[in-house]
Amino acid sequence: MKNAEMALYSEDELDVLVSNAIRRAEILDELGSPAAQDAWHEVMVYEERLASILEPSALTGGIARVGSILAAFAAGKRDEAVRLASRFLAEPSLPHERRAAIDRILKEDQERLELRYPALATKVRLSELQQWRDEAAKQPRVFPLVA
Amino acid sequence: MRLVLHELSNVHPVLPIDYHKFGGLALQRSGHVSPVIAPIVHNGEELEGSIEWAKQNMDFMDMIDSNRVTEDGAEAVAIAYVYSKAGWVAKRRLQKGESADWLMVNNDSCLALEVSGTISGDLTSRLSEKMKQVVRCSLPVEKLAVVVRFETPSVLAASP
Repeated sequence: MKNAEMALYSEDELDVLVSNAIRRAEILDELGSPAAQDAWHEVMVYEERLASILEPSALTGGIARVGSILAAFAAGKRDEAVRLASRFLAEPSLPHERRAAIDRILKEDQERLELRYPALATKVRLSELQQWRDEAAKQPRVFPLVA
Repeated sequence: MRLVLHELSNVHPVLPIDYHKFGGLALQRSGHVSPVIAPIVHNGEELEGSIEWAKQNMDFMDMIDSNRVTEDGAEAVAIAYVYSKAGWVAKRRLQKGESADWLMVNNDSCLALEVSGTISGDLTSRLSEKMKQVVRCSLPVEKLAVVVRFETPSVLAASP
């Protein structure tokens, strides 16, 4: 969906879209479907749109901000998740509780990476993994990269 | 207290349109016909609910995951209950990372609602698990855990 089309939706309409998209993504996750990542990407798009129209200090604005980061990780878009986290953490009026939630999500992702790549983690080389991902993302490819 | 499943979509537009169907299917699967009386215990207070639903075609059960019917059916009953009890309306679904299923609103208040369902078995231990989960929800809102059983219909609810 294009940004111009997204701008047509009100908060209430986006609430309907994001609620249905989360449920669909959860179901696809449970089924182990390869379509789950695309479904989480859709959730991320709706959450990001909600974040753009709602104040960081508002309860629902904070939920959308954290939700967009959670959905980006679930969609396998780690770079996007980190970019969103940096953007939202830079907002002065973001409540402390939401900052803590974002920090917790980033920490949990780091722990997942350490579990998945223990050899790199013990040699403090996980940052190289991110550099490799960045390089690989720039290359042409036939199949999508795994998360 | 009436818990009217077939009116859920009118009251809560954000709910998936098939929620009330799953509620009805979950109850019919356990041999019930609408309306069915269900005891409700909320923070120790004993209430009585009458769960009402539009008759569902049981052929759908062959096409739908049984656990999904139980979970979504439980959410339908729980949302009907919190609306009937205190006028809570579903605002949006929350992601797993928020440790609750739904954000509910009521005038100026908000509620994080965590729900679980089971066909049969002990509800007390399940409620205890859900309480532990919803306590982890860091949102500055009221919190409520609700568990629903279908074989002998009953609802157990508690706030941390």
